[in-house]
Amino acid sequence: MADSTSEEYVIEVQGLRFRYPSSEREALAGVDLVVRRGEFVGITGPSGAGKSTLCLCLKGLIPAGELSGRIQVGGKAVTRQSAFLERSALVFQDPETQIIGLTVAEDLAFGPENLKRDPDLIRAAIPRMLHEVRLDGYDEAETYQLSGGQKQRLAIADALILEPDILLLDEPTSELDPVGKDEVFEVIAQLRRKRDVTVVMVEHAAEQLAEMADRILVMDDGQIVDQGPPHVLYRSAATFHRPDGERAPQIAEVLFGLLQDGLIDESEFCAREEDAINMLTDKLSRHHVRLASHG
Amino acid sequence: MPVGYSIYVERPSLIHQRIDPRTKLAALGAVFVLALAFNHPAVLGGILVLVLLAAQLAQLSWRSLLPAMVGSLWFLVLSLLIWPFYVKGGPSLFILFGSTISVNGVLFGLAMGLRVALMVLAAGVWMMTTSPQKLTVGLLRLGLPYKAGVAMTAAIRFVPLLNAERITITEAQQARALDLKRENPFNRAVKSIAIIGPLFVRSIDVAQSLALALEARGFAARDGRTSIVQIGMTTTDRIILIALAAACLLAIGLRILGIGLITRAYL
Amino acid sequence: MAEPVQLQRMEPAIDVSEVRFRYSASGPEVLHDVSLRVEQGEYVALIGQNGGGKTTLAKHFNGLLKPVAGVVRTMGVDTRGPSVAELARTVGYVYQNPDHQIFAQKVRTEVAFGPHNLKLPPEEAARRVDEALELVGLREYADEFAFSLGRGLRQKLAVASVLAMSPPVLVVDEPTTGLDLQGSRNILDLLGRWNADGRTIIVITHDLALVAERVPRTVVISGGRIIADGATSTVLSEADLLGKAFLRPPQVTRVAQRLQKFGIASDVMTVAQLRAQLRLALGE
Repeated sequence: MADSTSEEYVIEVQGLRFRYPSSEREALAGVDLVVRRGEFVGITGPSGAGKSTLCLCLKGLIPAGELSGRIQVGGKAVTRQSAFLERSALVFQDPETQIIGLTVAEDLAFGPENLKRDPDLIRAAIPRMLHEVRLDGYDEAETYQLSGGQKQRLAIADALILEPDILLLDEPTSELDPVGKDEVFEVIAQLRRKRDVTVVMVEHAAEQLAEMADRILVMDDGQIVDQGPPHVLYRSAATFHRPDGERAPQIAEVLFGLLQDGLIDESEFCAREEDAINMLTDKLSRHHVRLASHG
Repeated sequence: MPVGYSIYVERPSLIHQRIDPRTKLAALGAVFVLALAFNHPAVLGGILVLVLLAAQLAQLSWRSLLPAMVGSLWFLVLSLLIWPFYVKGGPSLFILFGSTISVNGVLFGLAMGLRVALMVLAAGVWMMTTSPQKLTVGLLRLGLPYKAGVAMTAAIRFVPLLNAERITITEAQQARALDLKRENPFNRAVKSIAIIGPLFVRSIDVAQSLALALEARGFAARDGRTSIVQIGMTTTDRIILIALAAACLLAIGLRILGIGLITRAYL
Repeated sequence: MAEPVQLQRMEPAIDVSEVRFRYSASGPEVLHDVSLRVEQGEYVALIGQNGGGKTTLAKHFNGLLKPVAGVVRTMGVDTRGPSVAELARTVGYVYQNPDHQIFAQKVRTEVAFGPHNLKLPPEEAARRVDEALELVGLREYADEFAFSLGRGLRQKLAVASVLAMSPPVLVVDEPTTGLDLQGSRNILDLLGRWNADGRTIIVITHDLALVAERVPRTVVISGGRIIADGATSTVLSEADLLGKAFLRPPQVTRVAQRLQKFGIASDVMTVAQLRAQLRLALGE
């Protein structure tokens, strides 16, 4: 991309360090991060790496503890004293404990009501938001009756109705079954096609992350230890392809093996399923032709 | 298995949709006052019929009222068996276990059963016709601080959640051969920590997650808040409220005059 | 563990016969005529979407639920007789979230809870606790505060506290939820070692990639029925069948099936297998 002015960056984090009062170890040990407007950034890494703490900071919910470094969201510095940060919205992991309303409509209205938005505008926004997360017609449904996947989609709508520029998602699928996971991933993918929203998503599901993310960060021990676009990052032997490494998409593991065998080169490596199938189809066809012509 | 938050049933009725939650709360209060003011079964029975008529007006099915009615019937039977031994007066009917059973005793027993039935059914009809959201907004208008209102909703929301947690914890510990029923009382107390402990920890986790989620959604970020739920008193509400007030004053007056009573000796 | 399991006659570990179940008399039937036989020493994965009936079926194995019709026998015992606590000698059940069972201050006390409930002699109980802690790799944490352990270690603690009861049959519900890859592999390896001692393991999971790597037999449950049951390699390569349970074959299997015309086998299940196949196809 072209050279960028600071307005292009919706998130700028510099030298961020954070330590919880009860811990000797730093939860964040010097994080530097910039996120471009409209970018989809995935974050992965083992539990305890500091991913959730980073999300909280980017939502302006800085936990109690020692903080140093600089956080800017939408060009504005975020500190403990900052007013409620409307530029970013955060969806949490547990579908059960982030839904407060007894009905879907009531739950959707909760956020904007808190921000004293006009009730008429809120009412008008509800069906639009439900459509975005494919819950059309669920306005009056009671929230306890929703499935896990539906609850998480409602939580995403709860975030979107606040009209944020940045959507932060902290492991939104890890408590869901495969059906629920797919529902949530589809909604996020569709959202990206329709709106100019910046997404930062903490996620362990490497295969889905590779399909959606422009860039993936790997965190460990409070630091970003590796990062890159999926087709580059998942080639990293130090991060993924070792016995206790992070999970890469299966296809990336296979292609990494072929790379080591010298059967493909680095430019052919990819991490998305369709890309891999196309590349392999192409390669296998040419190989067959070559075999046939030699034979 | 799903556990409902409340027994509220949505219906397109006048009582559900048109009447302010504050009026319905006042009506419930008035029924309680009336139920306590009289102790003659005919009067209480009459009021009970009115409550059942209100339930019909609210398009509630008889089936949905059944649990409340069955529960009340128990009280009625119990009350009929006990009160005649204490309340005397009026023509004697027969002698049982050396005690004379009189008409007034039977009537008073009947009245006390009807009184409980009246209160239970009125409370049931009230809950089935007043949505928790509207009630919360109503209470806020009556001066309840909005943080307390949200706490109330959260409490309703988390009762079924924590109940599900309790069931899971109990099952997990049973699978570790915990059998509280077979322990002596001392061991039972000691070993119930295996259920209370995790439930306590989970409750704190749930409360913390919820607090964070509330904060992320701007709770208490501004002074006060708006609400999409609209309630407001109409002329109908005012007429109902005046009628209720009149009925209560009348009932208290009649009580003082001793009308509508079997006996003055008991409430 | 030390002594091998005594195999009294060769009763099946789990024998579910024409079981029907509903949660309440008026509720819908959630298991329809389910039959399943798991022999002693088997390692079986139970897969399917939530609400399909996996957990309902698994709760029949240790008597938490009793069939409305049909019979469930575990190690030959009809589950309608004994209480859940009594069946705990035969069937261990590890719940998904370790926080639903951890209550003791110390790791060792937590693990000793089951053996204590079984009224084992103290020396025997202590020995089993040590063995269980050793097996899951928590020996060095024996005197630590149980709640201070990370999620992965708490999961191991939950497993250890059931293993210490030394049940011949073990049911494990979603052991990898909330764990990273390494944590998940550790738990499945642990179950594998326990299985190698002749014990029966039934694991409920959504992680088909790990099932493909580690578990020989797979049972698919959907809509309250068993819709597939067989060797994992066969079951997981049938995309249409998995689709009925709203599941998809592992990514390598999907890719392999799209490359079939180049001679790639359609029942490839693991990364190593696909790599080997492609190496062959691209090699010569």
